[in-house]
Amino acid sequence: MAQPLVKKDDDRDDEAEYSPFLGIEKGAVLQEARVFNDPQLDPRRCSQVITKLLYLLNQGDSFTKVEATEVFFSVTKLFQSKDLGLRRMVYLIIKELSPSADEVIIVTSSLMKDMNSKTDMYRANAIRVLCRITDGTLLTQIERYLKQAIVDKNPVVASAALVSGIHLLQTNPEIVKRWSNEVQEAVQSRAALVQFHALALLQQIRQNDRLAVSKLVTSLTRGTVRSPLAQCLLIRYTSQVIRESNTQTGDRPFYDFLESCLRHKAEMVIFEAARAITELSGVTSRELTPAITVLQLFLSSSKPVLRFAAVRTLNKVAMTHPMAVTNCNIDMESLISDQNRSIATLAITTLLKTGNESSVDRLMKQITNFMSDIADEFKIVVVEAIRSLCLKFPLKYRSLMNFLSNILREEGGFEYKKAIVDSIVILIRDIPEAKESGLLHLCEFIEDCEFTYLSTQILHFLGIEGPKTTDPSKYIRYIYNRVHLENATVRAAAVSTLAKFGAMVDALKPRIFVLLRRCIFDSDDEVRDRATLYLNTLGGDGEVVETDKDVKIFLFGDLDIPLVNLETSLKNYEPSEESFDIDSVPKEVKSQPLVEKKAPGKKPAGLGAPPAGPPSTVDAYERLLSSIPEFSNFGKLFKSSSPVELTEAETEYAVNVVKHIFDRHVVFQYNCINTIPEQLLENVSVIVDASEAEDFAEVTSKPVRSLPYDTPGQTFVAFEKPDGITAVGKFSNTLRFIVKEVDPSTGEAEEDGVEDEYQLEDLEVVAADYMMKVGVSNFRNAWESMGEDFERVDEYGLGPRESLAEAVSAVINLLGMQPCEGTEAVATNSRSHTCLLSGVFLGNVRVLVRLQFGIEGSRDVAMKLAVRSEDEAVGDAIHEIVSCS
Amino acid sequence: MLLAVLISNSEGNILIERFNGVPAEERSHWRSFLVKSGADNLKGARNEELFVASHKSVYVVYTVIGDVYLYVVGKDEYDELALAEVIFIITASIRDVCQKPPSERLFLDKYGRICLCLDEIVWKGVLENTERERINRLIRLKPPTNI
Repeated sequence: MAQPLVKKDDDRDDEAEYSPFLGIEKGAVLQEARVFNDPQLDPRRCSQVITKLLYLLNQGDSFTKVEATEVFFSVTKLFQSKDLGLRRMVYLIIKELSPSADEVIIVTSSLMKDMNSKTDMYRANAIRVLCRITDGTLLTQIERYLKQAIVDKNPVVASAALVSGIHLLQTNPEIVKRWSNEVQEAVQSRAALVQFHALALLQQIRQNDRLAVSKLVTSLTRGTVRSPLAQCLLIRYTSQVIRESNTQTGDRPFYDFLESCLRHKAEMVIFEAARAITELSGVTSRELTPAITVLQLFLSSSKPVLRFAAVRTLNKVAMTHPMAVTNCNIDMESLISDQNRSIATLAITTLLKTGNESSVDRLMKQITNFMSDIADEFKIVVVEAIRSLCLKFPLKYRSLMNFLSNILREEGGFEYKKAIVDSIVILIRDIPEAKESGLLHLCEFIEDCEFTYLSTQILHFLGIEGPKTTDPSKYIRYIYNRVHLENATVRAAAVSTLAKFGAMVDALKPRIFVLLRRCIFDSDDEVRDRATLYLNTLGGDGEVVETDKDVKIFLFGDLDIPLVNLETSLKNYEPSEESFDIDSVPKEVKSQPLVEKKAPGKKPAGLGAPPAGPPSTVDAYERLLSSIPEFSNFGKLFKSSSPVELTEAETEYAVNVVKHIFDRHVVFQYNCINTIPEQLLENVSVIVDASEAEDFAEVTSKPVRSLPYDTPGQTFVAFEKPDGITAVGKFSNTLRFIVKEVDPSTGEAEEDGVEDEYQLEDLEVVAADYMMKVGVSNFRNAWESMGEDFERVDEYGLGPRESLAEAVSAVINLLGMQPCEGTEAVATNSRSHTCLLSGVFLGNVRVLVRLQFGIEGSRDVAMKLAVRSEDEAVGDAIHEIVSCS
Repeated sequence: MLLAVLISNSEGNILIERFNGVPAEERSHWRSFLVKSGADNLKGARNEELFVASHKSVYVVYTVIGDVYLYVVGKDEYDELALAEVIFIITASIRDVCQKPPSERLFLDKYGRICLCLDEIVWKGVLENTERERINRLIRLKPPTNI
């Protein structure tokens, strides 16, 4: 592009106006790419076209298969040119185009030629390109060259081969593992970057061989590591070795090495060592002190990244060793005014964790100034930290509550305001002295609250807590104001709250009645309906009399009906002489739809919003079962399984079953859906054959009277089983019912029906059904505190297995326990693995399990099982489950 | 893993982006999160002044050079300090290629070379090169001088 000869300053105006890619279009660029086919190549022009292609790709433009293939084929012709700049661009664009397997062959010979070229730079780039686009077959052909390249005297070539190895290890581990000797040699390289890459690759190759990693660490900690990046890697690997050595007492191996790294000249290394020390399990104050000292120095560094890293690490340390961090408090306080708000927020929250009671007031003053200029997400973190501080120092509730109420009045988004309101509500519940002032703060907030959700939440809370205060009348004004000033949703909530005051405070009743009567002229149906309902329920004459217990239950009690069912019934209700009967709403809980249950548990990485927790169905199951008289004497429900499908998808009848476990009983809840519009099923039950479940004896069965089209219904079968025994067995199931034809035009069923049966899948009760998955946050602490009294240890041979991971997963599923600390994940090709499990066994007995696996060359897996529990018999039961399987 | 390297102009228009190991559906979240962070903090910041943040176990370091905003995102071994190293070498290379902190126009003029620099520095989420002299030669297929 020709540039006019102008002075630099004049040039700037033009610069802002024109982009070299202004008006760029994919079609035109693809046309331009035809220059790659010219017999007389113009390297400069070709480079420009490649740049345009790169720009398009970086802008998110995608090429169709045909376009990409055409461009790729044209690009391969550019290998004819000897122009270095163009060749470099060609290497890049081939990588960006990611040719498909059948296209790669076109370029392989050119790249192989470059890989054996005498020009080092051709070699390095050809390796990188080949490894990016190659598959396993081609890799075996070029393996020899790659191994040579790893020990090439040119560091660029060696690095290219090593980084290729790091990537290829994911796809072709068997091949890359064969390069171990060469990589080992490269670790000794005098070139800093080669050593860094070689160390990373070698550790990944050997990561499952604990001894080899330990040897590697031992030799390198004594030798020379040339780059800070490699030294950081070494520190990480050292921490891993320390973690796995499980040394509980005496001198920790390699601690001296970590400590010596605190005096390294590179800040990156110092920080890595300090962090490694703070993360040592069971770290002592003596070990911690030098690390904290360097982190403290970093707090006053001029580099924001160092300050951030230091304060973030200290923030973590403060959770477990708050006393160790108190020395840094002065430096930390100065960070409150740091320009980087992430640093300031971390400093504040650390101070809130480490501060003592006497410093709370001073701290709050500093935070007040700080709050006005940070974003909502930081403010939420601070609010949560203040809530914890208040619960820690309840005597300081006054200043902390004032702080919360002040920030509640300031500008802020919904999430932030919700965090504050939630905090105030928690403080009111946990600190009785804080109740009155807290409620008044909330009242003032709803006077000017723009969030309907928060207003209704506060009104609901006021209705419960307000009447219990010494002077309930002072809240009425705030509540009644809502009836005048707010939208219909809030007005309706305010009416309910008024009614609660009326029901609980007899002296206020006449005045509440006056207010409620005014509400019956409201413009909104719901508000009027509520006012009328409450006036009638509470007794409209407004006398100062005590409210009935039933009315209080109605006002304050739970609805006791699944809202989904209520909604369906209300939708189906047609206005008639007969009023809607709430008792007609089914109380059964509709099981989750199939699609939801079978959706893969995909975990969003990065910024993905956290998945919402599953709805708590346990309470609903408990309520449902206790409402059935036949099951009322079964005692407390221990566990309900997730639904198990007993029919294929899209069959005539969809049936799944939930297993409810009691101490001496098991109840099968069959959730049935009739998917045929022309049929009405009646008297639906499941006939269970328990001949393969000897310990179980059927005690009762509860059929569904009627099962219309697409309406869920539940039938139950209950079994008795011996107390304290983890009885297991297989049950075969047959759905039995009377089927009646339905006239599609009228929707009416014929009077006569035919008895029919439908075979369902078998169902098993397994040992895992008697175990609840309950995790522990710190397994080691839980294990130690459980003590050795009821520890039972034994070893088992699991026979030949597909892989170690498969064996680990099988045992976890067998026991039905919660894996802790991510130990359910087994590293690829690992030869040994420790898995930690936690759970609660039938009878509410806590159980912890430590499983140690080892796999031999013949794929035979051996397992050591250690169980600790609160009850010796449960430990035995766990071993029995494993030995019987 | 270096999850992302993203370069935008001061209005938040993406000039170059490289994601590694980030699902396609999450990329737009990242893009808008990074661009917002830049818009909030980088206006008026000094050239190559570093800004840092973290979200759960993911770290973000970002800076401005000339009219161009530069963001790097990492996790695990690519913590804030490693990212600072990465961003330092990227800014140094951009400066070398452009001869000065670039305007958007200058950056686009040197677009091809800058893509080559990035290709030398980061390869699919792994830091490959950290020496600016060497990178400066490698993008022209010239061997490094210090062998």
